[in-house]
Amino acid sequence: MRGPVSKKLILWSLVWFSIITMSLPTIIIIGASFTSGEMIQFPPEGFSLRWYQRLWQLDDFQQALLRTFYVSVICTIIAIPVGTLAAIATVRYRMRFQKTIQVYLLLPFTVPLVVSGISMMLFFGEIRILGQLWPVGVALCIINIPFMIWSVSASVNSLDPELENAAYNCGAPPVQAFLTVTLPAVMPGVITGSLLMFILAFNEFLVSLFLTDSRTVTLPVQIYNSVRSVITPDLAAVSVLYIVFALLAIWLLDRLVGLEIFLRSK
Amino acid sequence: MDQMVEIVDVSKSFDKVRAVKSANLSLQRGDFLTIVGPSGCGKTTLLRMIAGFDAPDTGKIRINGREVENTPAHKRSIGMVFQKLALFPHMSAAENIAYPLKMRRFQFDTIPDLVEKYLHLVKLDGLGKRYPHELSGGQQQRVAIARALSFSPDLLLLDEPLSALDRKLRNEMQLEFRRIQQELGVTTINVTHDQREALIMSDQIVVMNEGIIQQAGTPVDMYRNPENMFVANFIGVTSMLKGVVCGSGKNSVSVKIGDATVTARANGEEIAIDAAVDCAIRAEQIRIMDIDSNVGDDFDNAVDGIIKQRIFEGDRVLYAVQADELGGAMLHLFDHDPNSHNEYPINQRVKLGWNSRDLFAFPAETVK
Repeated sequence: MRGPVSKKLILWSLVWFSIITMSLPTIIIIGASFTSGEMIQFPPEGFSLRWYQRLWQLDDFQQALLRTFYVSVICTIIAIPVGTLAAIATVRYRMRFQKTIQVYLLLPFTVPLVVSGISMMLFFGEIRILGQLWPVGVALCIINIPFMIWSVSASVNSLDPELENAAYNCGAPPVQAFLTVTLPAVMPGVITGSLLMFILAFNEFLVSLFLTDSRTVTLPVQIYNSVRSVITPDLAAVSVLYIVFALLAIWLLDRLVGLEIFLRSK
Repeated sequence: MDQMVEIVDVSKSFDKVRAVKSANLSLQRGDFLTIVGPSGCGKTTLLRMIAGFDAPDTGKIRINGREVENTPAHKRSIGMVFQKLALFPHMSAAENIAYPLKMRRFQFDTIPDLVEKYLHLVKLDGLGKRYPHELSGGQQQRVAIARALSFSPDLLLLDEPLSALDRKLRNEMQLEFRRIQQELGVTTINVTHDQREALIMSDQIVVMNEGIIQQAGTPVDMYRNPENMFVANFIGVTSMLKGVVCGSGKNSVSVKIGDATVTARANGEEIAIDAAVDCAIRAEQIRIMDIDSNVGDDFDNAVDGIIKQRIFEGDRVLYAVQADELGGAMLHLFDHDPNSHNEYPINQRVKLGWNSRDLFAFPAETVK
């Protein structure tokens, strides 16, 4: 009987160790954000919502938050058609240079973000769009598009290749078949990918750092700027905002893809 | 002549592998044709060319009098039940059945009635709102067949849709497909590797092997008058005996098998003396008897043998008997009444009797 008991002990110790180390930073930052003192510290000094209140009143943060939303929306809106079509095309259809195209589409992963950031800054400067906000969304879409393609590819791979033939057989011309059968069937991948793209764009820092200035600064860059000057508990409050936002996205994913889960069954 | 499907000299290759070699077949309106053969014999390729998913390299396909080589799949009036059914997972059963009606621009207000009608035909009344994953295997089959039929196609194609079902459900669905086909009178082409299914369901059978049509005919014809060794072997449980012709005629030949000389049926072509032949006899045409029985008038051929294998199958017993007189050839046979007959143990010597009209002789290597 000793064997199973000690095995259980080791396993549970590992599990709890992982859970605690992974969630400790989150717990500390949440705790710190509710402090009533002037410093980030844990355990917090008293309890108050004053830093949240201050955050809300800070014009800089509100503006940065809005800009980040704007950039993330642009990134996602571009990623949905581009990523979906690219994934379906490279997985499903036989074409020349298939492998080459697949590798090319995943290239953004292999380029360090610093390099992407600098090259896009130079390029955007050259075509005179640097300093505007929308190109930041485009840039974030370019560096993160492999996530979208991967997510949709997973759905396309599990798709019955005969479904489109079945649609033709039912009398659907190719475009109709694509819109009414193929697209709905890969929807879970599209939804997962879009949420992922949104979150990634929302959090992206390094490339945004190169592409934004004081008029177009996004939230992650704003946080970075604040940290460099002075660390106050309103930063903890922003972090909690981020955590809440991530949880919201996971909840949304579960609801949407959860509803669509039957798409994966036969 | 009211031909619904005519296939003339159709060939198809994939990457230098010839999947179908000059296939010819025709099918009358309202008939049920089964193309049967082992996997990789080209039967599915032929079906997909009829459906319009693949184009033939050469030859003509006519459906309802029109040549369809240049007609894309979605413009052909063909309903198909796919091997894995390919039901649209995001649509309910009723929406699946309505899909071809919408795509083929049926008048909008007639669609709900048609959906109800076909749900009723496949005995799924009241289950229209269910999604495919909420239905059992048999119910999914029924949705698939209703979807293939709801727009009254000229032709129904079945691509081994029953192969994934367990045996009991498969037998049930075979009869169900046949009932629906006869009720609607829709011309049907079924593809299967199950020779039993082919015999049960069809008006016409086509046996294919290695891309070539071996024989076409009615189930009875196919069973009673196989034209070559492949067909004889593929349909039914058959024993094969290798021999040499020692006396020849148009309809019967004398064949020397081992030390014995037996009379066998020839299929009309004269076989030269000394030519090698393959002889085939079906398991149910051989009777097993005690070693000292008198064969009498029932059989005109008898040999002794030793039982090497006995398989109890419930409704019958399958024996494998080695006959030394026939050069040690193994004969397979059924005893259909094991309850009232003797059950012979392994290694028992027994007598086997059969009639020469049930022994077929084919020139060796007649498999096309």
